[in-house]
Parts: sequence; C-alpha cells; structure tokens
Amino acid sequence: MWRAEMYLRNGRIVTFDLSTGESEEQEVTDESAWDNLSSIKIAEKLAVGSGGNSIILGTGVLTGSFVPAACAGLVLANGRLIPILGFAGLELKLSGFDFVVLKGKASEQGYIWFRDGIIEFVPAQAFRSMDSWQRTDKIRSDQGDGEIQVLCNGPWGDGGNEAAQLIVDHWGGEDKFGMGAELGRRNLVAIAFRGMGELELAEPDRHFEDAFLMMREHIGRLGANDGFASYTQLAKRDDFARLVHRHVACYGCPYPCRSFLKVYEEPKELRLMAKEPGYLHYDIPGLSKAFESGLDAKDATVALIKCAKAGAEPASVISKAASLGGKVSLEKIDSVLSRPAEVKLAKMLNFEASFGVAGQYEACLGLGLCPRYWSKVGFDKTEIASFSESTLGTQFSL
Amino acid sequence: MRLRIEPLKCICCGLCETVCSLNRDSVLTPMTSSVILHIEDKANYFGLVLKTKSEGLVVARPEGVSTGQQAAGSGGPGAKPILLREPCDLCGGEPKCAKICPTGCIIVEG
Repeated sequence: MWRAEMYLRNGRIVTFDLSTGESEEQEVTDESAWDNLSSIKIAEKLAVGSGGNSIILGTGVLTGSFVPAACAGLVLANGRLIPILGFAGLELKLSGFDFVVLKGKASEQGYIWFRDGIIEFVPAQAFRSMDSWQRTDKIRSDQGDGEIQVLCNGPWGDGGNEAAQLIVDHWGGEDKFGMGAELGRRNLVAIAFRGMGELELAEPDRHFEDAFLMMREHIGRLGANDGFASYTQLAKRDDFARLVHRHVACYGCPYPCRSFLKVYEEPKELRLMAKEPGYLHYDIPGLSKAFESGLDAKDATVALIKCAKAGAEPASVISKAASLGGKVSLEKIDSVLSRPAEVKLAKMLNFEASFGVAGQYEACLGLGLCPRYWSKVGFDKTEIASFSESTLGTQFSL
Repeated sequence: MRLRIEPLKCICCGLCETVCSLNRDSVLTPMTSSVILHIEDKANYFGLVLKTKSEGLVVARPEGVSTGQQAAGSGGPGAKPILLREPCDLCGGEPKCAKICPTGCIIVEG
C-alpha cells in the first residue's frame, strides 16, 4: 500500500454514462482504495462495480515516470484487455483521471473526449462514412490540437465485427481481441484525450537518478537499436530494411520496437512531403501473417494501412484472404475488407506474447510498463520495487 | 554552455520534455518544459523545438537545425505554445534533458 499524497496519481476516477450523458467523479484520497498496485486489478474491480458491461481505461502506477518504457495504459471491456502504448498512456494519465469508466450505450454515434478533468460525449454522425485515419484527423482538427490521442474505430468497429481493431493514433498493433467491436456496440467511434495536467513524484531527483542509471545499464547491455528488427526477425528481411524511414519510440523507451516504413515516397526523404507516406510497424503477428501469405514488405505495409483505416485486425483479414485460395494480393485484401461479416478473429497475440512466463505480462502492464521492452531487458519485480520510495514515498512490494 | 541538437538521433521518446518540467517545477508535465517534441505521427515527421536565452528558438527538424525562428507548431491552441514558456536555464549547469536522452540527440557544448 502507499500513502494518499497521490504521487503519480490524480486521485480521480470518472464514470460516464453513455446512455444519459451524465458523469460522476470519485475523489480517491483513501489509501485503501489503491491497495492493489496493479491497474488491471483496479480496472477489473471497477468493471464489476459498474455493472460488468463497461469500458475501463486506466494507467499503471508507474506510467509517465522515468522508469524505462513506462508508457503503458490499458483498456478493459467484456473481459478483453489491451495495452495502449505510444504516448497514449502518458496522455491518459495527464488528462486528470486515473481511470475512466464508460457504461451504457449512446443513443447516437459519437466519441468521448476528455482533458483537464473534463469529459464529454461529442455526437459524430458525419463520421459514419470516414475511415479511422480520417476520424482521427477530424477529431484533432475539430478540437484544435494535433497531439490529441485518439483510440479510434474504423467502419469495422461500427458494425461490431469480432475482428474489428481499435486503432491507436493511426496505427494498429495493441488490439488483438476485437476491442473495436466493444466500442461499436456502444455507438462509440473513438475515445480521445489530451494530457495537460501534471504529476508529482515523492523524491524527484532520486527518482531521476535511479531511472537514469537503470536506463544506461539497459542500453549498455542491449547495444545498438535497430527498431522493429531488434525485436523480430521479420524486420531483418532486406525488402523490409530498404523501406525503413526512422525508428520511433513510445514515451520513455530508450530501445524502440517501432519502425516506420515509407511506401508512397522515397524512404530516406526527411522533409515533410507526403502526409500519408507509410505505416508504423510494431505488429508482429500482422506482419508475420502478411509475409507468410507471400506479400513482400511493401505490399504487406500497404495491406496493414488498409486494415488500419478500416479498423480491421490484419492477421484476421490476411488469414481470410489466404483461405480463399490462390496468391494473396492487395486486391484480395480489398475484397475481404469489403465483407467484414465473413472474417473471424485470428486471435494471434502481439504484446501478450512478450513473456514466456505466465503472469509476467499482466504484472508488467499493470504497473504501466511496456511488456515488450521489459521482456527484452528482464522484468525483475525486486528491481522495480526499488523505485517505490522515490516514486510513491513509501515501500511497496510486488 | 549551450545545447546542441542532432535531430536525426531523436527517437521521439519524449523524456526531454518531462524531465525539463521536473527540473523546473518538480512535477511531470510536458506543458511547462522549454523543449517541445513536435510530432506529425501519420507522416512520421518529428523533431524538437528548444527555447533558449541566447539563440531564441532552436528548431531541430529532421532536415536540419535553425535558430531564431518561431516554431511552426507546438500542438495547436489547446497546448501551451513555446513562446509563452520560460527559456532553458540549462538546469543550473547540468542539463537533465541531455543526460536522460537515450540516443545522444541533445548534447551539451562548452
């Protein structure tokens, strides 16, 4: 347990009823409310407490700290759990809420928008004809901030298809469990948020120094980073390597697993030219299934772009395309994307497969740490617990 | 002493932003930092904007570094523009952004 100073927490949980548009906030100053450090356990408790049919968003206690790769948040709905990475975890925590509970079903299509401790439902009937990228861009444009984090459905999610994938800031990879369908069933096209708040640490200087030393030790051990190729052999292929533009980290990660491939302009072009030049790869099963089906790196990337725009889980789409017989082509991918009802969820794990040891994934994600990074460097609970005093002001055990 | 930025080494981790606020205000927030990570995610275009006392704005784009200009963008009107922020104080002599940067993108000179 830790004290109620709310270090690295906002001390606020909000429940928003999509059916009525009303929200209810819970100030959490009683330390017993945080008696479990795992955000997954807290989210599960909130799900039960809100009737069991809610969407829960949350962050780990270390999310946003300087512990390496402390970037993760989570979404839980109907027993399905997905991480949210990139900058979404940090921004979610800085939005003013530790957990957001969305219950009920909206009477019309729209999105949830929260920032600075304010939450609202924004009707968005016009989004029906848009893909997930257009929706993300529209939300950012309408709300006047290009760095709003958007967890977005495409048309597949609107229809509640079981293979609908929730797209995180244009990219797919986090959702391998059809979370998009969970939003669609509640008439939600997206959940958008921006973090403009601030968080305190118990001992800022000590936390910084400890995290710095840990990160340097990791970097020294890991050696040179090669983006996605540092985590999967798939990205070591020549046709993939030729298209790499730059490697991109999530918040606080010193050893990124994300590589952006440019397929619509010269990969080494550094200037801001094409607005949609390619795709950010971090989806191991998606790329694996694409290569397995015979697509080269360029067509695999285009296939993943098409799936992301549709809000469709790519391994599921490509598996269906392969099952139709003959060579898998982009035309065949288009054909499958036009018939979502025929596609079953492939249930191929991405971040969930990071660890070979049961429980490690949940333990890591529950703290707000990226499972992929921590499986690479070795997830040691004792080592993480050494941050307890500088972070939270008290000892905690994991 | 000054900070030099090599933008192509940037991996967009954002640690420089949060550590800046930690040093300045003892809190974690990208909203008060003197350095801003500018991201256009769909185009994979990102770089840093640093507000300095001696050189004005240092705009470190992927295609090169320029000084004395206004930032092209800092997250729109919903965010706090860099022109309203305090300039870098070099953390009193040991810049934390340069220290925490995992790739050596931000370098202390002089």
